[in-house]
Amino acid sequence: MKLTQRFALLTGTCLSLTALAPVTAFAANTSPAPRGTAGAAGATSARERALMERLEQLSADLQTLKAEMADLRRQQQSDRAAVATAAATATESASAARASAAAAASAATASNTAVLAVNGAGQDAASAPATVLTGYGEVNYNRYQRDKSKNEADVRRLVLGVQHRFDARTKLVTELEVEHSVTSASDKGEVAIEQAYVERQLNDQWAMRAGLFLMPSGLLNENHEPTAYYGVERNFVETAIIPSTWREGGLQFVGNFDQGLTLQMGVSTSFDVSKWSSTDAETADSPLGAVHQEMSQAHAKDLAFFGALNWRGVPGLQLGGSVFSGKGGQGQATAAGNGLRVSLWDLHARYMVAGWDLSAVYARGTIGGTAAFNTLTLSSGPDWYPVPKRFDGAYVQAAYKLWTSGDLSLSPFVRLERFNTRKAYADLGLGLTQTAAPTEQVRTVGANLNVGDGVVFKADIQRFQENKDRNRLDLGVGWSF
Amino acid sequence: MPSQMRAAVGSLFPLRRLTSRLGWGACLALALGLAACGGGGSSESASTGGADRATAAAMSPMAQLGEKIFRDASLSATGHQSCASCHDAANAHAPSNHLVVQLGDDGVSVGGRVAPSMRYLIYNRAFRIEADGTPAGGFFWDGRAASLAEQAKGPFLNPKEMNQPDAAAVVRKLSVATYAAEFQALFGTDIFTRPDDAFERVALALQAYQKEDSDFAPFSSKYDAFLRGKARLSDAELRGLALFNSASKGNCAACHPSAMGADGSFPLFTDFSYDALGVPRNQSAPSTWGDQGLCASAALDGLNLSTTAREALCGKFKVPSLRNVAVRQAYFHNGRFTDLREVLTFYVQRDTHPERWYLDGSQAVDVKFNDLPAYAANVNRSEAPYNRPLGGTPALDAAEIEDLLAFLQTLTDGWTP
Repeated sequence: MKLTQRFALLTGTCLSLTALAPVTAFAANTSPAPRGTAGAAGATSARERALMERLEQLSADLQTLKAEMADLRRQQQSDRAAVATAAATATESASAARASAAAAASAATASNTAVLAVNGAGQDAASAPATVLTGYGEVNYNRYQRDKSKNEADVRRLVLGVQHRFDARTKLVTELEVEHSVTSASDKGEVAIEQAYVERQLNDQWAMRAGLFLMPSGLLNENHEPTAYYGVERNFVETAIIPSTWREGGLQFVGNFDQGLTLQMGVSTSFDVSKWSSTDAETADSPLGAVHQEMSQAHAKDLAFFGALNWRGVPGLQLGGSVFSGKGGQGQATAAGNGLRVSLWDLHARYMVAGWDLSAVYARGTIGGTAAFNTLTLSSGPDWYPVPKRFDGAYVQAAYKLWTSGDLSLSPFVRLERFNTRKAYADLGLGLTQTAAPTEQVRTVGANLNVGDGVVFKADIQRFQENKDRNRLDLGVGWSF
Repeated sequence: MPSQMRAAVGSLFPLRRLTSRLGWGACLALALGLAACGGGGSSESASTGGADRATAAAMSPMAQLGEKIFRDASLSATGHQSCASCHDAANAHAPSNHLVVQLGDDGVSVGGRVAPSMRYLIYNRAFRIEADGTPAGGFFWDGRAASLAEQAKGPFLNPKEMNQPDAAAVVRKLSVATYAAEFQALFGTDIFTRPDDAFERVALALQAYQKEDSDFAPFSSKYDAFLRGKARLSDAELRGLALFNSASKGNCAACHPSAMGADGSFPLFTDFSYDALGVPRNQSAPSTWGDQGLCASAALDGLNLSTTAREALCGKFKVPSLRNVAVRQAYFHNGRFTDLREVLTFYVQRDTHPERWYLDGSQAVDVKFNDLPAYAANVNRSEAPYNRPLGGTPALDAAEIEDLLAFLQTLTDGWTP
């Protein structure tokens, strides 16, 4: 029972007892004495004394309660934003509690803040740690159906994060990522800062982030820990089209409103399309991934605006979309007049009910002004990779928590994706424009086995329609805390 | 469902829960799917060397036009010279005659440099100064063209080659060629009214032809077969390979890499870098005298090099591929040597016995590095085999040169067992 309710009950009890006292006394006085008036008078005063003692006891309890209430109110003020999120979390179905807590966290803050808030609500503010270590990691194995020389085992990423809360309104979120185990001039790994921002709660509704933060786009980008998605590898729509893990630096405002509405918007760094290499086949894997700057001495002549709206008004349901637009020439010499503009928008939906986890995403990117840029590196043939003017993708996914036993749960899933990283090219002239690539379709069938609250074992099979050399079986283990 | 199977699976999962949910369908599908992994077809990956390229029949329309243009002599001033005239497909796309420097379309003009082989150029890139300060890349001997397409334009307009005055002249000839309609079909019916655009597309078509026709990078030599495990080198050839790679003997691999790349790509026997070897003047070809090479190249335009930095590049020429070196008729940029054995001997005796190599017009001993004596300081003298003292022992003796020669002969395309 909440403290407020206990207080109300006590107050009511006190008042009723106080009101009843004269009545009781009167009743005591007027009630027919069973035997002898002297005995009846003595019994009445003893009852009166007991009542007085009880009243005093109640009064003392009331004072204690008042003091506790004051403490709590102070605590509640500092956790207001998190409590609002926790409230949204609490309304969702119990079976989806874990996943939805993570999903709710992604809307407003970095992954662990909601968990921190849920833990912190009701506790004394002094007992919640100011500095929190977070982390996640993935170890993956890919086994190709056709060309075994491509089989690979990789510590795909290991991320360590430190979040520090300076005070009730100010906190720091940082994340450091190591990819592919070993980083050196001759090794394939990378060490990168994935997030580094300060968040300040401005008022009950608005918070502000400044620094390097994750872009609110799609379902996966802000919520990309291995325990948060199905399948060993992240889906193609949200890696090839939306370049997860996509982060930019700048200023972001996050607003939480009634009816589960979250609005995020801001200004950030943009892409550097001038560094596109038309002979690099990797540009076909992810066009925006090839030109992202990751705030590493990023060219910042051209900035971008972005916004995202998400609605979680119905328990288990999330609907939302995002937009991003920024120029990409950055004043660089190779950018041919700097007319390059990158735009990316997405629509996404997720519904978790009765053990089902259904989701769908559509994302579309466009780059304007590519004709002039591509003319500089005019060539022909399949190994010529000019900048595409359009790329998009969509997927639908269904997962079902089939089996639970203790802290184990098994969720098989199916995902159907269509994506094209080279959907259309700007016209360069008859016979000169590169031919668009065929749209790839991927079918993924697999399962996540969750162990406890933060470990997941995964397996899946992926079948590609266009490039069957990519058909593979994947196994992986991941964790997140 | 067979009872044994049920019992077996039941030992893994609580049976009731599973059957009460989706049923066996989902599980079975998953199990079957997982089992149907990796046992799929394992087609042997075709290892054609680094590239995966189309046969002639499968070339794109642009490349097919490029092939026709490549062979079309009518595009030259007097109609006698095509690209194929000097770049003979039967001889590694290099000249098959014994002329050191080729004649132009007018039958009189003499080229200033040896016509190179056009093979394996698709792996080259535009000219740049690398992070460590060394120049690399670019097309032509001095790297002045940034792409195959740009290089393709050169000979059309070179007075010593196809001798056309301008792009419009080339396009006029093209518009009456047998394949003119094909050209219009691909690039637009009005393309001949825009001669500059048409000339751009001629260059692109030639580039597409070189990129798509596997004849330009066949990787079909005995050494390629050896790398694929399909051939064995003879003892002499193996000794030659060892001398080629040895840092203290031939040290050829320092500029002409012979090893497979980490990604499985086959060696090109060039790193497309630049070097000054101090090749003796070719007294029989005055048109080649005093060629400054890279320092006079348009490749350096826009790089804002200081005079000193620029002059340090004089006498440097691009390292050519050694593939098909045995069938070449003229060596180095000035054709001073026509015999490969002599070339190898020059390499190892340049510094021990310079008096044999640097001769003037009357065969008398001349100053060392007599073609560019002002830039003698730029000549490579620190690496083997150049680091031997005057009068000392050459890095390779006659027998070793024979072994090295035997190895170099394994680099000729078109080998059959």
